[in-house]
Amino acid sequence: MSSSSSSSSPSCPKKMITLKSSDGETFEIEEIAALQSKTLESMIDENCASTPVPLPNITGKILAKVVEYCTKHAEVGADAESLRAWDAEFVSVDHPTLFDYILAANFLEIPTLLNLACQSVADMVKGKTPDEIHKIFNIKSTFTPEEEEELRRENQWAFD
Amino acid sequence: MEESGATMRKWEDLDTDILVQIFQTFDIFELTSGIAHVCSAWRMACCDPLLWKTLDLSALESNFIRIPLEPYVYVHCQSDKEVTRLLKIALDLSRGSIQTLIFHFNLYLSDEQLTYTAERCPLVKRIVMPAWNRIKKTGICRAINMWPHLESMTMPSIANPPYLLEEISKNCKNFSKLKIMGPFDIFFASSLVLYIPKLKVLSLRCSVIFKDALITILDKLQDLEVLNISHCILIEACPSPLLKRVVKEIDPFIMDKANRLREFLVCMNDSCVMCQRARSDEGLMRWYKYEKGLWKSDEARSLAL
Repeated sequence: MSSSSSSSSPSCPKKMITLKSSDGETFEIEEIAALQSKTLESMIDENCASTPVPLPNITGKILAKVVEYCTKHAEVGADAESLRAWDAEFVSVDHPTLFDYILAANFLEIPTLLNLACQSVADMVKGKTPDEIHKIFNIKSTFTPEEEEELRRENQWAFD
Repeated sequence: MEESGATMRKWEDLDTDILVQIFQTFDIFELTSGIAHVCSAWRMACCDPLLWKTLDLSALESNFIRIPLEPYVYVHCQSDKEVTRLLKIALDLSRGSIQTLIFHFNLYLSDEQLTYTAERCPLVKRIVMPAWNRIKKTGICRAINMWPHLESMTMPSIANPPYLLEEISKNCKNFSKLKIMGPFDIFFASSLVLYIPKLKVLSLRCSVIFKDALITILDKLQDLEVLNISHCILIEACPSPLLKRVVKEIDPFIMDKANRLREFLVCMNDSCVMCQRARSDEGLMRWYKYEKGLWKSDEARSLAL
């Protein structure tokens, strides 16, 4: 549990930590919101979060959104329905951004955000043919010769 | 929508763990529809054992018609081919990880399809069998032979169980849970006692059970812990061969024998929907008439789906 017991009393200042993005921008986040990141939680526990925490893998643009997500999810009294709607809105982004959310959530170990972003990608991918997926995500189709052989066999109708 | 930089995200380089997490929400049709054909990295993620602990094909039923001659069903050719194709891809990707294999009882697998599947699931612990009409006894035995770790089976009722139970007793040393979807008579009961004496869990729900078979089970399966006869029609043979008396409630004699069981699951209630259905279907449940997936329930938790 965090050492900050000030969350219930409005007159006490909230404990904040500072995060620094790869491009030098700094962001303040309430400690209680930061606890959603297992990475940040252990840093706070080990007292390493008193100076700005450098996050060289995450750009300012994405970090701002991650802070927004954690802050929203740390709010008390939010009803599940409106939070779901907020989440859906949050991941209605282009797929490069979604990709960045995944990497950030993975690095910072924020399971709820990772789940949310992965589910969003899953929905994008389901029902698409390999060709469509290649186009959407700009993936090159590269297989080893053994894999090519497996693919060829799988596309036949009979057992071979 | 910002497109610049889109080419710089390398989706194929995503951590395998993350790809696996994305694919974990996919059902079998979505998993085999093409994501394994996108690129090498995605294919590798599709083969992760985490995705293949269970192969659930229960949404797959054959497109068939009933015919008066053996095997009594004719499966539409295209339907068969699609099953083959799905099996091939799923079994390729599963790389032998499958531990639970689930078929629909109205999927009429051929001998070849069952053998192909069994060969590629050597670690299987639980099987929910498809329809057996097109499978020969040798085919069933061949499959059992390839499943030494088998612990649990759900099967249709068959007239001549000894060959099957003997094969299980020879090959499946850990076998302990059985669900039979159909009538249960003294012949089946005696065969169970002979070949699978250490049976722990037995479910016979929604079928016809003969009282002498029930008593045999209670007397002779000493290791039995859970017995489910919910919504069953219990029949007592009478001296007159034309008469069969339906037992309306479990008598104290049987309750006494069942006392040693950890769980004796019974439901014989005129106001119970399932009991009413079993009665009107005369013990041969017409599952297609009822809610989709209803057949998967079981009061014995380890045998429910």
